[in-house]
Amino acid sequence: MNSVQTMNTNQLAIQVSNLHKSFGEIKAVQGVSFDVEPGEIFGLLGPNGAGKTTTISMLATLLRPDEGDASIMGHSLRHDPMAVKSVLGVVPQEIALYEDLSARENLTFWGKMYGLRGSGLRQRVNEVLELIGLSDRANGRVSTFSGGMKRRVNIGVALLHKPQVIYMDEPTAGIDPQSRRNILDSVVTLKDQGMTVLYTTHYMEEAQELCNHIAIMDHGQIIACGTHEELVQLVGEQTRIDLTLNVEASRVLGTWQAVEGVSRVSTENGQVTVLVKDSNLVLPRLFEAATHLSVRITSVDIREPNLEAVFLHLTGRALRD
Amino acid sequence: MKILDIAFKDMLRSFRSMFALVFMFGIPLLMTGMFYIMFGNIASGGEFSLPKTHVIIANLDEGGPKFQTSAKNIPGGKQARTMGELVVNVLQSKEMADLIQVSLAPSAESARASVDGQASQVAIVIPADFSKKFADSNKQAIIEFYQDPTLTIGPSIIRSILNRFMDGMAGVKIAINVFMDESPESDYYLTGDVVQQYLDISLVQTEDLAGTLLDERAPTAAPPSSQTSGSQTSENMLLRIVGPIMGGMMIFYAFFTGTSTAQSILKEEEERTLPRLFTTPTPQAVILTGKFVAVFLTVLVQVVVLIIAARLIFSIQWGAPVPVAMAAAGTVFIASSFGIFVNSLLKSAKQGGAVFGGVLTMTGMLGMISIFAINSPTAARLGNTVSLLVPQGWAIRGLLQAMNGAPVGDVGLTVLVMLVLSAAFFVIGVWRFSKRYV
Repeated sequence: MNSVQTMNTNQLAIQVSNLHKSFGEIKAVQGVSFDVEPGEIFGLLGPNGAGKTTTISMLATLLRPDEGDASIMGHSLRHDPMAVKSVLGVVPQEIALYEDLSARENLTFWGKMYGLRGSGLRQRVNEVLELIGLSDRANGRVSTFSGGMKRRVNIGVALLHKPQVIYMDEPTAGIDPQSRRNILDSVVTLKDQGMTVLYTTHYMEEAQELCNHIAIMDHGQIIACGTHEELVQLVGEQTRIDLTLNVEASRVLGTWQAVEGVSRVSTENGQVTVLVKDSNLVLPRLFEAATHLSVRITSVDIREPNLEAVFLHLTGRALRD
Repeated sequence: MKILDIAFKDMLRSFRSMFALVFMFGIPLLMTGMFYIMFGNIASGGEFSLPKTHVIIANLDEGGPKFQTSAKNIPGGKQARTMGELVVNVLQSKEMADLIQVSLAPSAESARASVDGQASQVAIVIPADFSKKFADSNKQAIIEFYQDPTLTIGPSIIRSILNRFMDGMAGVKIAINVFMDESPESDYYLTGDVVQQYLDISLVQTEDLAGTLLDERAPTAAPPSSQTSGSQTSENMLLRIVGPIMGGMMIFYAFFTGTSTAQSILKEEEERTLPRLFTTPTPQAVILTGKFVAVFLTVLVQVVVLIIAARLIFSIQWGAPVPVAMAAAGTVFIASSFGIFVNSLLKSAKQGGAVFGGVLTMTGMLGMISIFAINSPTAARLGNTVSLLVPQGWAIRGLLQAMNGAPVGDVGLTVLVMLVLSAAFFVIGVWRFSKRYV
């Protein structure tokens, strides 16, 4: 009975089927299902407590699902968890490193836990140190590192065994903008190298920027799933352009309302708000009309339809509530 | 292999912690050093007195060849008709009176029963053929020494006195043999004179007869700088006191090390490294085993280093290698498994503070009662019983047995109890941790 059981994955990197998990009375995850193609970045977006970490914990074999199963690179979560672990790299939400060991000692130890040994291990540790930009601090204790550096080592650990799939659970939580930028860039690099990334975040900007597909979670369920464009179209949201003028706003309202592609023009506190379907087409027309009226536009703020609006539309609550 | 990787990682972390190093090695040696200095000062000039040791003697010696020695050279000034009487007279002499309280028993059984019943601390049984065997160049004269195994200083003093006495008598025996080998039969009648002269010389080499016999009794003697023998005596006395204290400290802190090292399981859970370990292709049983091995190895290193360091720094005599190794191994197992057991009862590492401050200190102090009560026979008896209620008490018992030269069988019995307790602690601890993680 040691035969490895696999599911029919149709070349999917991750296939999640009807996962359920409860903690006592609390239903943390209720029937979550989604598919992830190889080599893509798949985002799980949702507010704190939506069930993202519980889902990823089940997919990392840390929690046993009450119901349902998942296949990671063809290996069943329920029936072959060791095989799942061997193709998986996990970047936990909190930094999980031995602070009293150096970066190199941490990577070496974790490499051994992934089965690396000898010269292969040493070489891979050096490669990962290079990859995360910490070769010059390799022998420094992690306790002396900045938050951003620790985050990089935290990610480096998950890359040691060259996993096919990597889970990143809110890897940018609580760090400075520069480190955040570095991490986002490294995620894209991983994708370019052919890794499949499952990325959880509650920052819609990150999901929007990084992910090929996004599943929006709330109260343990996936309430919407698709590409960014598909999700936005799902709620029919339009681009909003906020403009300020050097004259009274009432002078342009009628003219702009008649511009092709404009859905609606309104004004509040001296600022004009224009709703359009395509800002790239409409904005030059607005400038042209203003010039004809000898009105100067002093500022422009374009707000693309975003996932925040999608979440608001679907749940009636803001994403960060 | 991964088990050792995890164990060595934990050990590296432990030995990198200055706090852990101070607790593991610094404090036990420092505490012992303080006692060493304190008792060293007393021994070299201060007032210090030991309680009397109750000795019961069954002198069954029926006598043998007669020889005379000057009464003035026998402690107590009594004539002795047999070698057995000579031993009794030495121990009953007024020079020994402030250290030994002697009573006589009619038989060997009653003398041993007195020790078993804790009415006496040492029984000395002089066999019926003691004088005869002494006079026979081909036989060995043996005195039976029967002591309360829980006591250290008093019995050690008595043993030392007897050893010194027997060494002197062995010299007499050699003198007789040499004389008879070298002399014609016509001169055999002079044997008594040879013995007489040897006894006079050997017993009167120093005017301080009690000082000669009382190897342990230096505190009231002249300052060490003026007498070499006094200095050595002080040191012996000091080590008899400091040795058990060092052993006690080692065991006390070995239990702390066992518990604090085992606490790394809970700490790793809170630091999130344990869940991360569980995401690697390493079975959870292997991970936990690695953590347990780390506990055993860390305590082992601590115990070995302390034993060697105490020997080098304080010249502590731990006893014969085999019994000491057995006692040390028992200590390692029981301290480690107790640590695993205690931590398995905790929900978080934060609760460890209360455990360290409360449970380990209380049980450690209870376990050490037998050491700090050795100067009081009544307290020692009570302490010995109470200390065995806690695992530290068994570890201390084993170590003291080894230090006192107890037979391997006796030490082995104590170690066996320790191993049984270790197995129980370990099984419960592993079961509880496995229930939580595996």
